[in-house]
Amino acid sequence: MNLASLRGSLRFRLLLTTLVWIAASIVVAGWGLGSLFRSHVEAQFNADLGVHLDQLTAHLVLDGQGRPTLSVPLSDPRFNRPFGGLYWQIDRLAGPAMPAIGGALRSRSLWDQVLAVPADAPLDGELHRHRIGGPQGIVLGAIERSVRIDEVSLRLIAAADERLMIEPVARFNGVLWLALGVLGLGLAFAAWLQVVVGLAPLRQLRRALGRVRNGDARQLEGSFPTELQPLADEFNSVLTQNAEVVERARTHAGNLAHALKTPLSVLVNAARGREDELARLVAGQVETAQKQVDYHLVRAQAAAAVRMPGVRTAVGPALEGLVHAMERIYAGRNLQLAIQSTPNDLAFRGEEQDLQEMVGNLLENACKWAATRVEISAAIDGDRLDIRIADDGPGIAAEQREAVIRRGARADERVPGTGLGLAIVDDLARLYGGRLTLAASSLGGLVARLNLPAAT
Amino acid sequence: MRILVVEDEPTLARQLADGLVAAGYAVDLADNGIDAHFMGDTEPVDAAILDLGLPGMDGITVLKKWRAAGRAMPVLILTARDTWHEKVAGIDAGADDYLAKPFHMEELLARLRALIRRAGGHASAELSCGPLKLDTRASRATVDGQALTLTSHEYRVLAYLMHHHDEVVSRTDLVEHIYAQDFDRDSNTVEVFIARLRKKLPPGMIETVRGLGYRLASPQ
Repeated sequence: MNLASLRGSLRFRLLLTTLVWIAASIVVAGWGLGSLFRSHVEAQFNADLGVHLDQLTAHLVLDGQGRPTLSVPLSDPRFNRPFGGLYWQIDRLAGPAMPAIGGALRSRSLWDQVLAVPADAPLDGELHRHRIGGPQGIVLGAIERSVRIDEVSLRLIAAADERLMIEPVARFNGVLWLALGVLGLGLAFAAWLQVVVGLAPLRQLRRALGRVRNGDARQLEGSFPTELQPLADEFNSVLTQNAEVVERARTHAGNLAHALKTPLSVLVNAARGREDELARLVAGQVETAQKQVDYHLVRAQAAAAVRMPGVRTAVGPALEGLVHAMERIYAGRNLQLAIQSTPNDLAFRGEEQDLQEMVGNLLENACKWAATRVEISAAIDGDRLDIRIADDGPGIAAEQREAVIRRGARADERVPGTGLGLAIVDDLARLYGGRLTLAASSLGGLVARLNLPAAT
Repeated sequence: MRILVVEDEPTLARQLADGLVAAGYAVDLADNGIDAHFMGDTEPVDAAILDLGLPGMDGITVLKKWRAAGRAMPVLILTARDTWHEKVAGIDAGADDYLAKPFHMEELLARLRALIRRAGGHASAELSCGPLKLDTRASRATVDGQALTLTSHEYRVLAYLMHHHDEVVSRTDLVEHIYAQDFDRDSNTVEVFIARLRKKLPPGMIETVRGLGYRLASPQ
């Protein structure tokens, strides 16, 4: 499937829009949840540092020499484990008669390291946050405040390894994206399922149309969902209307022919038995008129039907009906009319009338010329029907066969007939995309072969 | 031989009747389906020529009703509706032959003769009974090759007897098959025709079967 046909596919469009929505929703949800969790963890981290700093402030006392010291050690054990991740430090700031000492008092976890905090000297009670380098090259989140006790200015710092904050966020994000991925896949599968199930009636509609086109059905069969049923109903009514129009056209053409032929009969009989110029003129013109009427009647009736979808005719019964009629009409000739075994399901993609007209004319010819026997056979060759009508009559010389098929020609004027029979047969066959050929029969006479479209 | 002609176009019906009478048949005419059905059902016609498009009741229905009622006379459909679809339908309804309009009277007569002959079980267009021969194509009778001069009524009587030779034919049968329905019938005229025929035929060919009718047989 190329891109153009993909764009034209309803399933592709539905699936694509749904998938884009699903992907966008998952990305937004993932990003939103991630940042929510991250800010929560950050707040927690800072709050913990604040608590540690408050504890440090509360336990801070000065000894006799004005050196800071803690009345009680801080409770969190990580302050006592070297490089435990949590740190505190107290700096003495420069004052009157007192030099500054960085790292005057430090948590055990700092070991021999001193935290370097930017000298921004927060005012009393102010909290400052910094990201600073810590021991072993790690990054620390730090919080500081300034305290003044007995004219001594001190800076209190609590710091924690930033990984304490980053690692839970990373873990959370891993789990979050995994869950969202699974959810996305589930949603995509559900969307695909919905499209397939939702569009299944369209496939059903297509199959029903296919059956109509193949001639297996005259109408769209089956019930469709509420959204499609009106379409199917409309289509069926168009099919019905088409069939009615064709039927009307056939009837009108038949009526016209009927209306013309009775006056023609009157004319022929009025001119009968007279030998003058007028009688000959009437006879000649009536014959011409009759040929024209026959020719155009058959054509008009067939042309209307050829493009009708859903038309199929079982070959076997049509042949049997014709043979029965021939046996009756040619009862005086003691002919043997034999239908060779015809497959039961053989069908012609076209109107019954037209098949009868073609085979009927050929059978009539065969019966006129046969000495004792006429054989009819029908077979299927791929999607084509091959109907053969053979007789044991005198046959037609090879060089004359094309000419007798041509309109109006007759090989022998003595046998009654309009001489149009074969031309009409060939015309009808061609309207259906087939053709008529004549050849020598194994019975000794002529075999007429009709090649026509088969209905599956 | 009595023929029922069913045709709703009056000019054509008249032409058919003229042609058939000239060929030696008695002709009944019907111009609608209802009358046609009634006449074919009640009159002893020997054959019917039937148009299909009729007022009242269409030809196929008329034909089916005749056949359903057991009427077996040969029926020739004469119609402008001559597609094979219609021919098959006509034959299925019980027709014996099918002729399309416009037609030539000669062909119609030939087909009609063949139908009547087949219905009587005769193989040839020429019927014979001893020295007597009847050429149904030319409406001509000969005895030992000598042509007989016959009036049309004499011919009708002789033709009916020939189609049923060696059978006893009642006087009523003869009257019904040589006169059309609307003809003023008088069974005594049959005796007149028989008497005249006896003079023209070799002696003893037409026997009188007392109380039953006549029989045509070859002289011993």
